[in-house]
Amino acid sequence: MSMDDKVNLSVATNCCRGARALGAFFLVVGASLMFFSAPARGQAAPSVVQSDVKLVIGGDTIKNNSVGTLSVVGSSLQFASAKKKMEVEASSILDISTNEDSRQNITGAAHFATMAIPYGGGRVLALFSHKVDVLTTEFKDANGGYHGAVFVLPQGQAAPFKKQLVGMGAKASVPLAEPAPANK
Amino acid sequence: MRYHTRAVTVIFPLVVACALFLMVGSVCGQTSSGESKSAQKFSASSIQIEPTDAGDVPVPAEFRMAVYENLITQIEKTGKFQHVYRSGDKDAASAPDLVTLHTTAKSFTKGSQKKREVTTVSGSTSLILAVHITDHAGQTLVDRDVQGKVRFLGENLRATYDFSKKVANIVRESF
Repeated sequence: MSMDDKVNLSVATNCCRGARALGAFFLVVGASLMFFSAPARGQAAPSVVQSDVKLVIGGDTIKNNSVGTLSVVGSSLQFASAKKKMEVEASSILDISTNEDSRQNITGAAHFATMAIPYGGGRVLALFSHKVDVLTTEFKDANGGYHGAVFVLPQGQAAPFKKQLVGMGAKASVPLAEPAPANK
Repeated sequence: MRYHTRAVTVIFPLVVACALFLMVGSVCGQTSSGESKSAQKFSASSIQIEPTDAGDVPVPAEFRMAVYENLITQIEKTGKFQHVYRSGDKDAASAPDLVTLHTTAKSFTKGSQKKREVTTVSGSTSLILAVHITDHAGQTLVDRDVQGKVRFLGENLRATYDFSKKVANIVRESF
């Protein structure tokens, strides 16, 4: 074996070691990505979802009184209407509160049509209403600007949102009411 | 002679009444023109809206938020300011002639849409808030009590829209 052959062999061995180290590096990085991406995908699935929610006011780019789906995705509250979407990070929520209210069963253009019913028939129809939950959030944007958003949900559906968001770091001046223990 | 006396008794009270009417009218005219002179116009390129201070008045959160959001929309619509900043906005600190709008609750009555539409005489929702606009030094430029209400048609939160429209009109008059 000549001196040149020895040099070539050592270069080849070094190359093999480098390739192995590079392979091991990619293996470690790939494995870590695989392990860490699995729970991330799990977080992205919405944990609380409610359709037919009305955003009464406070959706910056979304029109007032838009109807859409409210959900908690990852660590944020998300409202998606047919065209647009708004997202509020739970940690940026300064206060979240729930309240009860009632809404007329007949609204919009049909409501005005009822006014034409003779002998006060429209007034009778105004008696029909249903209870709703009102979810109010106060939050700040990336620039520190204060915002408020008011959502109207079906009765009893606001509390799960509040509970979930408070668990994720949202602040609430009024704590969630614990359900009363059942009498035996 | 009798006719002369009658004419005096009929015409004299009429003349006095007319004179009194004219005097009252001129006095009213003077006060109204005086008020229009005192309604000073201020100048500012930007305004910051602070959230409503409920104080001791039990104003529900949705009403406070609706007042705040409606105020931002309505004041933007006036076109009197280049920038309408939300409370806490970091960019407001660098605004040279910033004025700040504060609202403090004075009274709140939550009505009922059902009652309003069935009876038309009861169930109105009403809120009265003190509106202060202060300049950069904290000096009060505007100090007024404004009422927002919904009497006949519409949901209770519409009172906040009525309130904000009135505040926007005050801003139009003052700036």
